[in-house]
Order: sequence, then C-alpha cells, then structure tokens
Amino acid sequence: MLNTDKVIFSKLYAQRINQLHEDKLTINDVKMKQIGHLDFDDWGFIHYPDFKFEAKPNHPSGIVYGYVAIGEHLRRFFNEIPKYINKNSALAGAWVGPLQNYVKIDIIPEDQPRELFEVWEKYDTKPGFGGMNHCAGDITIGLKLGWEGLLNKIKYYREVNSPANAAFYDGEEQVVLGMKEWIADLAKEARKMAEVETVEAARINLLEIAEVNEWLVNNPPITLKQACQFIAHFQTLDRTYFVGGALDQLDEALRPFYEKDISDGILTDEQAVWYLASMFFNDTHYSQIAGLTPDGSRDMTSRMSFIILDAMHYIHIPINIALRVHDKVNPELLKRSLEYTMEDGTGVDYSCNVGCEEGFVKNGFPLQLARMRAKIGCNWTAIPGREYPLQDVTRCNFGFALYYAIQDLRQGERSMEFLFERFCYHTKVIVDSIKSGYDKHYEVVGRNRPEMVYNLFMHGPVERGLNCSEGGVDILNFNIDGVGLATVADSFAAIQQRIVKEKRITWDELFEVLDNNFEENENIRLMLKNIKRLGSPDSLSENWAVKIRNYFVWCCKYEGTPKHHLPIIPGMFSHGNIGELGLKLPATPNGRKAGEPISHSNEPDPGFALGINTFSPTLKANAVALLQPGYGNSAPLHLDIDADMISKEGGIDALVSLIHTHNQMGGTLINLNCLTKKKLLEAHEDPQKHPDLIVRVTGYSAFFASLSKEYRQQIIDRFLSI
Amino acid sequence: MEGMIFNIQRFSIHDGPGARTTVFFKGCNLKCKWCHNPESISAKVQIEFNPERCIGCGACFKVCPNCAHYLDENKVHRINRIKCDGCLLCTEICYANALVAVGIQVDSNYLFKSILTDEIYYKNSLGGVTFSGGECMLQIDFLSDILNKCKERGIHTAVDTAGNVPWSYFEKIMDDTDLFLYDVKAADTNRHKQITGIGNDLILQNLRRLSEIGKQIYVRIPFILDYNNDQIEDIAEILKPLNITKVELLPYHKLGNSKYTSLGIKNELLEIQVPRSEMVDRAIEILREKGLNAEKS
Repeated sequence: MLNTDKVIFSKLYAQRINQLHEDKLTINDVKMKQIGHLDFDDWGFIHYPDFKFEAKPNHPSGIVYGYVAIGEHLRRFFNEIPKYINKNSALAGAWVGPLQNYVKIDIIPEDQPRELFEVWEKYDTKPGFGGMNHCAGDITIGLKLGWEGLLNKIKYYREVNSPANAAFYDGEEQVVLGMKEWIADLAKEARKMAEVETVEAARINLLEIAEVNEWLVNNPPITLKQACQFIAHFQTLDRTYFVGGALDQLDEALRPFYEKDISDGILTDEQAVWYLASMFFNDTHYSQIAGLTPDGSRDMTSRMSFIILDAMHYIHIPINIALRVHDKVNPELLKRSLEYTMEDGTGVDYSCNVGCEEGFVKNGFPLQLARMRAKIGCNWTAIPGREYPLQDVTRCNFGFALYYAIQDLRQGERSMEFLFERFCYHTKVIVDSIKSGYDKHYEVVGRNRPEMVYNLFMHGPVERGLNCSEGGVDILNFNIDGVGLATVADSFAAIQQRIVKEKRITWDELFEVLDNNFEENENIRLMLKNIKRLGSPDSLSENWAVKIRNYFVWCCKYEGTPKHHLPIIPGMFSHGNIGELGLKLPATPNGRKAGEPISHSNEPDPGFALGINTFSPTLKANAVALLQPGYGNSAPLHLDIDADMISKEGGIDALVSLIHTHNQMGGTLINLNCLTKKKLLEAHEDPQKHPDLIVRVTGYSAFFASLSKEYRQQIIDRFLSI
Repeated sequence: MEGMIFNIQRFSIHDGPGARTTVFFKGCNLKCKWCHNPESISAKVQIEFNPERCIGCGACFKVCPNCAHYLDENKVHRINRIKCDGCLLCTEICYANALVAVGIQVDSNYLFKSILTDEIYYKNSLGGVTFSGGECMLQIDFLSDILNKCKERGIHTAVDTAGNVPWSYFEKIMDDTDLFLYDVKAADTNRHKQITGIGNDLILQNLRRLSEIGKQIYVRIPFILDYNNDQIEDIAEILKPLNITKVELLPYHKLGNSKYTSLGIKNELLEIQVPRSEMVDRAIEILREKGLNAEKS
C-alpha cells in the first residue's frame, strides 16, 4: 500500500526549509535591485556583480567556438566562480550566471546561413538555427557513473574509436575535469565553514556536505543525499552552459536511492524532503513525476512522487515539476498537487498523455517510446537521453503571414479565398525557411557550439564521438512552433463577417484603417474586434483556426528539411513573449493595434467570451484541445482560475475532472493558476506586498514580484478576463 | 420549440453536483428585493447600458426611432426607458458593447447542442445540466422539451426553482428531472409576501409533494440580513420532516448591484450589509441542530 501521507517535520527540518525559503526571498530581492525584473523562472543563480572572467577567443571575430575551446573555458570558469554554500541547505553549490555573459560563444560568421537572414527579418521569424539546450539527458547515466565514471567513459571511447580529430573527447574531458575540481573545492569550502561554525547542528551539516562532495569527486552517488547533490551539480553545470533547464523523470530517477536508504535505516521522510527542497533551492530545472511505464502497465507514482510534492510545497518557491496525467494516474497525487496549487501556487503543471503520447506515435514511433517522452522543458517534452527534439526555439509568426497576404490583396483579387491562398503562401515561405535553417544547424552547430553537457548524459554521443545534434543520438526531431493563431483566425473571421457577409465596411476601408492603425476609427476597430471570437461557440473564427492549423501542420509534415530530410514536428507555443512577438507587427483586422501583443500559442484571446456564453474554463479548454497540432508537441492551455470560485466543497474534484477531460480531448499541457483577484491586484500594484506570490507564467513558474510590468500585466489580463 | 434565456454558464460548480452547465431562463414571478440577477426578472429582452465602455460615437442616437438616447444636463449619455420600445437597433450598432441586449430567443435544438459541448466534463465529474433563472418553470413547455432531450442523452438534470407554479408544471417535468434545487426564502407567508411580493403557501405545498414523491431535493435558502435571517429556525422546522438531501445557505452578496444600474432598475437593497461569517455559521448550526445536512454555498 503506497504511503500518501503528508510528511511531518521536526523543528530542526521545519526551520531549515523555512530558512531556505526566506533566503531565496532575500537573494531574489538583491537580484531585483541589481538586475531589475526577471521575466523567467527563478533559476536559482546567485548574483555576484563583481565577479570577472577573462575570455580567450579562438576566432578573429572574438568568438569562442568548438569543443576544446569551450571545454577549456567551462573548466576554468568552474575553477574561478565563487563557491556558494548555504548552511541551511543539505547541498553545496550554485551557479553565478551563464558563461555566455562573460564569453562570446557563437557560431562563426562563415558558418552562418546568411542567405536566410532576409526572409527571417521580413517575417520576424525566430528560426531555431543555432538553438541550444532544448534537449534532455538521461540523468541515470550520471547517477550510475558519477563524474569519475563519465571521465573513464570518455577516455575509453577515445581509445576505442581513435578518431583522427579527438576534439569531441578532449573538450568533453575538460568539462568533466572542471566539475571534479569544482566539487573538490566545494568540499574544502564546506570544511572551512565548519571550522568557524558555532552552531553544532549547522557545523555537522557542513561536515556532511564536505563528505558528500569528497565522495562525489571520484565515486557515483549511492545515497539519496549524494544523488541530490549530484543532480544539483548537474543543474549548475547545465545552467551555466546556455541556461539548460531539462532534467528527467525525477521520481523514478531518485526512487531507488530513497528505497535503499529507507531499507538501510539511514533516511527519514523529512530528511528526504529537505534534500529535495535543497535541490530545488539550488535550481528550478524541469522534471516530471508520475505517468505510465513504457509498457503502459502501471502508473509510476511512488512515495518519491509525494515527497517531491511536499518539498515543492514546504519550501514555497517557484519550481518546475510536471505531473503526467493519464486515466489511471494516482488520484491522491493529483488531488494533493491541486490542493497545493490552491493553497499557495506551489503545485505542478499537467502534462497530458493522450495528446503527447498518441500524437508522438503519429511521427512513426512506437507507443512504448512515446510514453518515455517526459515533460522536461517549460512547455516541451523529450525522451531523456535518447532524443534530440529541438523544441521551443522557433516562432512562425502567423501575424506576418497575414500582413503580407493583405498587402498582396491590394493588387489582386479581393476575396476570402485569395486572402487565404496568399496567407498559405507566406506561411509556407516561413516554414520552409526554418527548415532550411535546420539543415544548416545540423551541419554546423556541432563544430561551433556543441551540447557539451547533454552529450555526457545521452545514449550515443560519447560512444560515437558525435554531438547529439548530428547523429550522437538515434532520434532527431526538429520542431516548428506556430504563434498567434487567434490573432489571425479572428482577423479572417472579422473580414468574412464585416466585409463579405454584412458589408459594413469595404476592403478599401479595411486597408485604410489598418494603415492608420485605427486612428480616429475606434468604432471600426471595435466592430472588427467584437465578433464571436475564437473560443466562442459557433464562431467563424474556429473554422478559420482549424483551416490555418491544418495548413501549418501540413507545411511542417509534408516533407522534412530540403537537404538532409530531417523530420519536423509542429507545435504551437509562444512562451511568455507574446509582447515581443507583436512588437513589429502592424495593426491586424481583429482590432489589434500595431505593436500590441499577439495571441498566445493556439489559445483564444483573453476576453473572447461575449453574449449569452459567458467565460468558462471549458470553453477555452475545448478550443485549445480542438486546435492541437496533433503530433505530440505541445500547445498549452493556460487556466487562471479564481480560487474563491472553487474553494467550496467539490472544487478540487471539478478541477480533477477538468484536467482529465482536457487530457481525454487530446490536450497536451495545462498550466494552472488558482489565485484570488484581491491578492493578484494588490501584488500588481505593489509587488513587494506579496513578495512570495508564485504564479505560473506559461510552462514555468516564477515569483510574481520578479516579473516585469509587461509580464505581470499578461497574467492580470488573463485573470481578469475570466 | 423556442425559449427565452439570458446566459449559458459552463463549468458551474455551484448549481448541483459536479461540473455543470447552468442555463438561465428569463422571466420570474417573484420580485425578491435582493435578487442578484435582476436581468432575469423581466421575461422580455432588455437593454443593458455600460457607460464605461461607451466611446461616444453617437451611432445609437442616430439609429433610435424613438429618441430614447439623450444627453442629460451634464452631457452624460442616458436612456429614457419609457420611450424605448425594445427594437434593439442601438445594440446592433454599438460595437463597443456599451449597449447590450440581454435575453435571446433560442431553439431547444440549438440549446441542446450547446449543452452537449461539455458532455465529457459531466461524465468525468458526475455533473450535468441545471436549468435556472429567473423562474425556468414559467417556460414549462420549453423546459420540458430540453429536459427530455438531455434525459434521453443520459445527462444528469437539475431544475432550480422557487416553486411558485401550479403542481401540474412539476408533473410535466418529473420524469426528466433528477434533482430539484428548491428555494425557500421565508417560513412565514406574510414575510414571504413582504420580501418577494407573493405568499409561500403554494411553494411549500409543492415542496412537500415533491418530498413525498421522493425526488432528490437540495433546498437553497438566501440569507439576507433584516429580511429573513430571523426565519432560519422556522424554515428548519418546516424542512425537518421532509426528505431533503441537502440544505444550502446562500449569504447575500453585492455582485449583482452594478447590474441594476446598467438595466436602469432601482436597487432597493443598495445599503444592505453582507452577513458576517459568524452569523452564517450560526444559521448553518441551527439548520444542523434540526438534523438537516446544511452547508454554505
């Protein structure tokens, strides 16, 4: 019988975890004062404004590139950065910021796809070429081998393969040596701190930290504490190199250590929570809990899954854990996560097995493999250690495809059919250009800025001496994300209704008001805006959204990249940067003014519900489920629910049904906020009034107070429109 | 068959078990002074005016055949509700949605299709559909038609009623209704008349008959200071011998206040206070002391 109890804390561990929470707020406050806002998740870095690091470029342009040069820089960096240890934490270490803040690591000019720059500029395309870190390692490789084992593996395969150019191995070796030296230094620092520590419990903790780190220099972890420390070091390294953030199926990775320690009588649940809380304090890497085993025979929920939830809840800082939902997921785990979300925002987001797994199968992969594809990015999934998925690095902005289609119409036939035909043409130009960029990426990224960290934690790169992007792993997928679906679908619908059907304005009048950014034509702007928008029942917009989604998916899937025939998987995700994506876009026929944000991913715009059909989470959820790209990559649903509305008996059950239903309808990801209007508005007015208010921005969570005003406004707009 | 409704609220968790779609019918034969859905009282389409959305384009002035729109001495846009004949031309031309028609005549097939969009949520949450208002039973043939469609589909059905209709109306929908959400606003008939405009003899008689038949009933008691807060014990006495599954106490709130203004209706309870939580708790305690399964809604 699985123990689902909440962990009870003694005074010592309650104090330690609470102090970690307080320390995080203090660190955050310092960062805010020194850096300003942080429009991303906490990331756990400690800001050292006076830290300096010298770059040693190996290209005349000032760029550092290639395995050896980058490996040497990483090693030296880890030797020079401050050795941070928080005495309330069970673990040592923190990162100080990305290496790229100090060293220009880039693709050299002669390897850039210059021929594509013009089209990317024209359509404000985020091309994905050169994208880094959007893949995931299999952390169990590291947990089994340790740093010394990884070093031996590199040496072994360098000898076995004897490549003419051993740069891959030489560079990776530098990275691992750097980590071993860093860990040894942390152990020394812990001993030094212990010598002057006057509080006995803290002194003992520091000595234990020293012992754990001394062990990990040359050995793989064998206890839960050592495993958490190993992962914390991995996180530190991963973040330092291009801000990597992907972890793994965390409950399953740690379960063997937990069970062994419990069986050996050397671990209590409160200690386990403290280790996990310390790991989350170190960084907010993305990982998953629960989900089906590869054969689909059972749910992976274990005691470890509950301990992870408790650690998230009690440290009460932004943490990025997803719970993989399926029909047989442990109901207690699901309810507990919702309870914590409703209580203080420390719950999870929900990765949906139907859309993610059954969708991925359509790319030609077996379901067993699809079940291993975990949610280990802010929005994206990957098979840890086995897939190079490169998601979340492209943006095909539908808004610009529409803009140029409207320009074409001025000289051509004025009809919906022609408008859609031109829209499709421009969309295909964007998608094809991203595909061509991926061909170039495949050819050059390995020799310029390889995945120095993930190569170590994947099945294949070290064995083959190849970067994971160029055949180091067996499975290569390249993602293209469409953005602004509602902006464009609502625009098509507004034109169809107001110009074609009702004839309230003419095409020429439309061109004129768009050219003038609706200046002195507010009534026409509202006429175009206030149609039945995407998300409303029986809307014309929904038909257009389906047509656009279908065409976009076809563009991605009808063939791979032109040169190397790399497979493409379509997605629809825009992160939180819908403001940035709208910045250059002129006014659109849905009543959106120039420069205003575009719509998010495949979601309806806030405030879409009008008339007798008032807003409901199900209207939004239904639209998002209907408009999934359908091949396993995410198009997330953001639900911002008024906690007051669901606080009564049955509220959590209703949310459970909402989550299961969205899953069954083919959704892929649910990002849930349960907030009260009063608290949110107070925090918007004065962020310091609620410094520890945690919100889910998109796939990641963050302190509301850390976000810029624009990002805070995004949350407010979503919330107030319900 | 057609009926007049003014709102379809999906994922409602306050109107019966599970996640539900609540359909609000227009028209009511009580005049409860605290009504937080004043747009539900009239059976006709009404015009809601939200001046904060008005962009001052003047289109409504031009289109109104009766000159019902005017500027007062402070140049503030007003509607002369007496002159307005409800043609709705102004709402059709108001793209800012400052003027909105409240109420729409819908076909039961259309409504059924709307209800079905959330069918899977009902199954997963053991929820269903609730017909509310207004008084939904005043449109009994339409209600009966849509209930029958839902029942044939296997959707759980609830009817939210104040019960002030002939018993024959209940008979028409009895087979197709799984749950009655039944309002009891006062125990004493004179008090009931004072606060709703009508006595409660028929209401209580219908409630007793429903109970005898064995239909599942949730009784809902609005809890309004100075109007019925002294009635709780007597209401409990009435309910005690009946077969009531649950009693929900609905404390007064002020969320409906702005609707009165936008509809141009006088709000008689503007000054009334929201009951303190200890008063609500005490009322629930009284109900529970009488053996009733009571909770705050």
